[in-house]
Amino acid sequence: MSSAELTPSEAARWAAHAGLPLPADRHAAVAATADHIHSVVAVLRELDFGETPPAPAYRAEQENHDAAV
Amino acid sequence: MQPYELPLTAAADAIRARQLSPVELADSVLERIEQVEPHLQAYVTVTAEHTRRAAREAENDLAAGRHRGPLHGIPMGLKDLIDVAGAATSASSRVRADHRAQADSAVAARLSAAGAILVGKTHTHEFAYGLTTPQTSNAWDTGRVAGGSSGGSSVAVAAGTATFALGTDTGGSIRVPAALNGVVGLKPTYGLVPRHGVTSLSWSLDHVGPITRTVEDAALVLAALAGHDPRDPASLTTPAVDYRPGAGTDLTGLRVGVPRNYYFDHVDAEVEAAVRRAITRLRALGARLVEVEIPMTRYIQATQWGLMVPEATAYHESTLRTAPELYQDDVRILLEAGELMPAGDYLRAQRARTLMRQEWARMLQAVDLIVAPTVPATAVKAGQETITWADGTVEDVSDAYVRLSSPANITGVPSLSFPVGHDAAGMPIGMQLLGRPLGESALLRVGHAYEQTQPARELARAA
Repeated sequence: MSSAELTPSEAARWAAHAGLPLPADRHAAVAATADHIHSVVAVLRELDFGETPPAPAYRAEQENHDAAV
Repeated sequence: MQPYELPLTAAADAIRARQLSPVELADSVLERIEQVEPHLQAYVTVTAEHTRRAAREAENDLAAGRHRGPLHGIPMGLKDLIDVAGAATSASSRVRADHRAQADSAVAARLSAAGAILVGKTHTHEFAYGLTTPQTSNAWDTGRVAGGSSGGSSVAVAAGTATFALGTDTGGSIRVPAALNGVVGLKPTYGLVPRHGVTSLSWSLDHVGPITRTVEDAALVLAALAGHDPRDPASLTTPAVDYRPGAGTDLTGLRVGVPRNYYFDHVDAEVEAAVRRAITRLRALGARLVEVEIPMTRYIQATQWGLMVPEATAYHESTLRTAPELYQDDVRILLEAGELMPAGDYLRAQRARTLMRQEWARMLQAVDLIVAPTVPATAVKAGQETITWADGTVEDVSDAYVRLSSPANITGVPSLSFPVGHDAAGMPIGMQLLGRPLGESALLRVGHAYEQTQPARELARAA
């Protein structure tokens, strides 16, 4: 286990912090799944985003522009 | 040929010409359901009484000269994430046991106005959070997975228990089961088809689209679905278009991008051979093949997961706290683990999507569309969890099925999947066309041209 991986008790604490109390029998499985998800998404830290904004679902400006036309 | 075997376009032509009545068609489809549904389990509920009543009304309308268009009197299945007023939207989940939709979803209302007739609500992988739909069997081999998450809709269309159906697609959930069951699936441009009244998996990745027997059928359904609805914040204000492809098969001048990376990596040899044969066919029709480099492939899965996982968890925040035991294990664990993802990861995925959309727009300046396998393997046996590739790499089945379809969800570009053959075991193989945003007409034109050069496909006969 690398130092970045969650222990079952850390997963339980993080979940509680997020407002989700986890039964004890789920701590290990949630920790393992969260670690797997983390290993997948962590690769995004390699990217240099610079001034890149996020891509949201909303396109309010475009809608307003279209309405004006 | 029985009425249930007719593709939408042929059934619509026969109804318009008064050679087929909506009642005959509905009865034929309902009889087919009685015959094969016990083996396939494509439906959560079948609304036979409603179907027969609506078919009689359609017949009366047509007799009185009131023809609403090509969907009038056509039996359809709706994935059970799509609200129909007065009916449960079960999401194939015990969480929704007491659900009752108050109103039609935008798409159900549009299809109803177009005269389509609901046959039933089709199974989804629970809340669309998975790629297999374990309740449902593949239409070609009941021992194999239906694919998902729109497994019920795809199996129903493949087996003749719906003339067309709707699915939803967040990482491939229309196109994956369409490919695995040998039917056509279209994920439209993000925002083209409104999602109001459709249960969400991941707001910024969700799409609704048609599952049909032919490409031309998909064009007819898309025309009824597309158009602005202010109740969906992502809905585009694009003007209405007639999507029906012309009869010509000449593709002279069309620039077809063939990926040199990503889309043919870790792909089954029979799948690759069938797709490359279909690409050769497009060239024979006049298309010019252009090699393209798919950008940012290292970040596709990370971006998909970084968007989908926290959005899905947010949607289920309340019931995950009040009734977690009602979820299936595979869905519950993902929802719980999603609580542990920091906002920073989500924002990185959103920013990566901005970069990916820019890079894809640049790539799509050089070609009119891109061709690729829809899924890297045909339908696996039920219960099989991994695929081992020729180089010894082991991949989770769901990861494999979503790998080639999720780029279109991240970038929002349209993707059309259609059958291009079978493997040695008789399982269908799908190819997808990926286009520019709002480039559905080009995809439908090319898919229709290809289909016209092939023999008409038969229905699946596993059950």
